[in-house]
Amino acid sequence: MRFAPLLIALFLTACSEPQPPLVASDVEVTRPMPGMKMSAAFFVLTNNTDEPIRITSVTSPQFATVEIHETMIEDGIARMRELDALVVPPSGSVTLERGGKHLMLMRPGELGDRVALQLMSDDAPLLTIDYLFASESAPGDDDAR
Amino acid sequence: MVAAVLAGAYLANRLQPPATAESAMILPNPDVVPAFSAVDQHGNNIDESVFKGQWDLVFFGFTHCPDICPMTLQVLATAKQQLADAGKSPLPRIVLVSVDPERDTPELMGQYVDYFGEGNLGITGTVEGISQLTEGLGIYFKKQPSDDENYNVDHSAAVLVIDPDGRFHALFGGPHVIENYVNDLPIVLAGGS
Repeated sequence: MRFAPLLIALFLTACSEPQPPLVASDVEVTRPMPGMKMSAAFFVLTNNTDEPIRITSVTSPQFATVEIHETMIEDGIARMRELDALVVPPSGSVTLERGGKHLMLMRPGELGDRVALQLMSDDAPLLTIDYLFASESAPGDDDAR
Repeated sequence: MVAAVLAGAYLANRLQPPATAESAMILPNPDVVPAFSAVDQHGNNIDESVFKGQWDLVFFGFTHCPDICPMTLQVLATAKQQLADAGKSPLPRIVLVSVDPERDTPELMGQYVDYFGEGNLGITGTVEGISQLTEGLGIYFKKQPSDDENYNVDHSAAVLVIDPDGRFHALFGGPHVIENYVNDLPIVLAGGS
């Protein structure tokens, strides 16, 4: 009987769903502001594997160009630069946020209620983020669905 | 007995230190905004006199900036709304000066600043005209080389407070947080230290 808890734990482990290798959470995609041809996407990426995951490009059916950018404030100067890749460390996470790393979405087509972002490693798809805009758009008001 | 209590309360009030701005840096010798030539979001020609007659919160940014610029303007707009809700007066005008006048037409500036509320001012024009203003205020901006139209512009992240006499009165260096503005603006706009 003393082995029962251990057996139950092993059983639960064996039956648990395998975690996806890469998970996006706290997703926010801003709508382009009036007259603008660009917006941004922010989220947290979590790597559930033992290897680093390298995101080298992002595509979207709704935007002609998506770039990985980072804003840095150094000595009171805001600088934004394009990154070659986004690396999520093993069993770790990377946060894309205002004033830091983010996706820059440029040249939108006809925008409906949804936007999809496909994260790629070289030419291999890693993860698709599907986002539903909030009905009333104000900066920071959209929620991930 | 009553007189003693009242005297004590009076002294306690007098001895209480005046409220002090915690995030804003108030300039001991404010400089007058330099002469410059630009246009507002309606296409009207403007100069340094546009800063006279009201308190202004002035941020230098550009409409193709996807994160810092809208985030900062939203912080300013939210802080202003919270001060209005609390019955504070005067309330500052929010001003965006474009550091990318080549792309930021008056029409674009109008759409952009209107997104953050009524009564905001957008300033654009020519690089030369904007530089007259920025150089005089010690504000940095530099267009980054790019192969296409999607270039970036490095720029100072500070928010300047201009007083109703058109003088550079105080500076919020950032990071820009709503609470800092809600706490400090009533002090700064009252001429506090």
